[in-house]
Amino acid sequence: MKNRLFFLLLAVTAGLLAWGTYQALYVAPAEATMGDAQRIFYYHVPAATAASLLFWVNFVASIWYLWKRSPVADAIAVAGAEVGVVFFSVVLISGPIWARYAWGTFWVWDARLTTSLILWLLYVSYLILRKSSELGSTSVLAASLAVFAAMDMPIVYMSNRWFRTNHPQPMIGTPNLNHDMQTVLLWNMLAFCMFAILIAWFRFELERTSQTINQLHIRKAAQGVSMAMLVPIPALLSAKPAMLLLAKKAAFFGMSAMFFAHKKLTMFLLQTSGADDLAHEKLVQHHYMVAGYVAVWTIYIGYLLLLMNKLRKLHQEEREMRAS
Amino acid sequence: MSLGVARLTSVNLRKDLRLEWRSRDVFNSMLFFALLVVVVFSYVFDASAEEARRMMGGLIWIAFLFSTIMALNQSWARELRNGVLDAYRVSPAPPEALFLGKCLGNFLFVLLLECLMAPLFVIFYNLRALGNVWLLLPIFLLGTWALVVNGTFFAVMSIRTRSRELMLPLLLLPISIPAVLMMVTATSAVLTGEGSPVPQIKFLAGYCVIFTTVSFLLFDTVLNAE
Amino acid sequence: MRQLSLELEAGRFYVLRGENGAGKSTLLRMIAGLSEPTEGRILVYGLKNKEAFPHMGYMAHAPLLYDELSGMENLRFFAELYGITADEPLMYAMQRVGLDPNLKRRIGQYSQGMRQRLSLARAIFHSPRLLLLDEPFSNVDPDSALQIARLLAAMRDEGNTIILVTHQVGLLSSLADEYVLMSRGQLADRGSLKVHA
Repeated sequence: MKNRLFFLLLAVTAGLLAWGTYQALYVAPAEATMGDAQRIFYYHVPAATAASLLFWVNFVASIWYLWKRSPVADAIAVAGAEVGVVFFSVVLISGPIWARYAWGTFWVWDARLTTSLILWLLYVSYLILRKSSELGSTSVLAASLAVFAAMDMPIVYMSNRWFRTNHPQPMIGTPNLNHDMQTVLLWNMLAFCMFAILIAWFRFELERTSQTINQLHIRKAAQGVSMAMLVPIPALLSAKPAMLLLAKKAAFFGMSAMFFAHKKLTMFLLQTSGADDLAHEKLVQHHYMVAGYVAVWTIYIGYLLLLMNKLRKLHQEEREMRAS
Repeated sequence: MSLGVARLTSVNLRKDLRLEWRSRDVFNSMLFFALLVVVVFSYVFDASAEEARRMMGGLIWIAFLFSTIMALNQSWARELRNGVLDAYRVSPAPPEALFLGKCLGNFLFVLLLECLMAPLFVIFYNLRALGNVWLLLPIFLLGTWALVVNGTFFAVMSIRTRSRELMLPLLLLPISIPAVLMMVTATSAVLTGEGSPVPQIKFLAGYCVIFTTVSFLLFDTVLNAE
Repeated sequence: MRQLSLELEAGRFYVLRGENGAGKSTLLRMIAGLSEPTEGRILVYGLKNKEAFPHMGYMAHAPLLYDELSGMENLRFFAELYGITADEPLMYAMQRVGLDPNLKRRIGQYSQGMRQRLSLARAIFHSPRLLLLDEPFSNVDPDSALQIARLLAAMRDEGNTIILVTHQVGLLSSLADEYVLMSRGQLADRGSLKVHA
């Protein structure tokens, strides 16, 4: 049942991502000053939204964990934080690429960017804490840190808003979007948020399986006797193809986006055989756009590969347990 | 109950002070370390008085931050050696008293370091504040408390991790960024005489209140996370 | 630890035995309130173990004391944690374990045997009804060990309950009442020790 829902959502998300990317590359009108480089906007902003959403999830799950000590809450918290970090990495990489073209500088200490960076740092430290803490105390410590991080975030935002006045405050965020751009943005928003939720869900199941296997290890060590290993390993994961599909889908999109982009580029080059300034400028814009896509999809695919690896290891552990 | 916490906090504090006094080796090394930091920084960031005033805020607080982390790293060391922390946890004494006592002890210790380092900075850079010098007092007090309260809390967290000494700065730095920003801009405002540091001071006060409360509430949970 | 259900009687001296990793220390720490079981409850004299702290004394392989303080200074600190401000119970405890209360030496300079005896004093000065000891005899000279063991038996005679984790059962075979054997995180056996005496 859950399996089917997942695959259904997978198909839907794949469709949405395709649609969104197509819209971003072809349908959305080129922006006045920045041209095609501005198209980075269409996955930069949704990634930021998705990441913020996931961090909220982490915060709520952490509080729930501190109150009820439920392993489900803990698994949700991990999934939220990890996938959130991935999406925020996308934001922090695509942002500067865009900024380099738009304002000539990679980085600016304005309120939003700084907040994003610090949020990223906080959650990376969260993940590191989880990795290096003793078994048994991990969840509690991490949850406490999450509460601290959540308390800190509004403070960070406000402090930057009010006090970094000696730095230029460029106008990021919503430039005057005309209606078409808004529509494209919304489609991509939907697509990427679903993408994020799907990956987070997968990560959640991975974590639950890992928890179950750990429990079994403990029980096995205590009992020393072969148990009827009717472990309810979530059906989602016993279907390895699920992961492969996800990875394939991601690869497909990355490549197709690059292909479209490059196609556009070559078409454009063919049209304007003269090397005038405008053509040169457009070329540069294209480069930035492609660079953005490459960087971002590398991150997504990289993370998915990591998850696949984890899944493989879990399967291996499960096999070892059944064997002994 | 709250009277009990206050009394026990003072008990803990006095015990820490006495222990610190007895084993002065740590104390001495920290003082020397603080001196070294000032010298190295002053040497590397060689600047005229005019330039110095602009960057002094940042420089001083980086130096303080660095020293604070070194000092905090061993703040729980005495409790861990010989397992005294367990004895405390098994007693009916409230853990919050332990936390506050530790914070106050660390606070006094770090303040002492700062009192040593600040005059040295003034000497090396020939500093003269163009703004209201007395405002430096609340800035230093609030800023130090902000660092110490979070630092003491994260130091307890790092007890249960591998690479304990690394975990503390890793956890402390991101959380402290807004507070450090406040301290730096406020100090710069006082030194250069441009702008008022009062909003930053208010902000720091708010920060201290929020994080002292959160640490206070979560300390018991984190202490007993086993 | 696996599922475990254990009921112990007050006023008896129990020895908790088992091979390494059987879970003896873990169980003791759970009773002491230092570790949380994932499920279940622990009751001490009818109270939840965390509410029974004033009636419990804990001693471990580590001395649980500050090296830089003297004997009485250490005890005075811990006494404050229990709300005891007078010196008499502390001096009495020190005398019972065979230490001189007037010794101003820092305990960092004590021998291991003296340190463990002071640790015991720290565990008993508030007259707890339940004493929990985790391998208290490690690295302790035989004389001190015997002295500690005899004192524990005397406390049992006064009506207190003692639970002691140790490998050195021989030392206690004539003093303790019952043994509880643990294996692989669960209860394996229990029985009276007096039979062997």
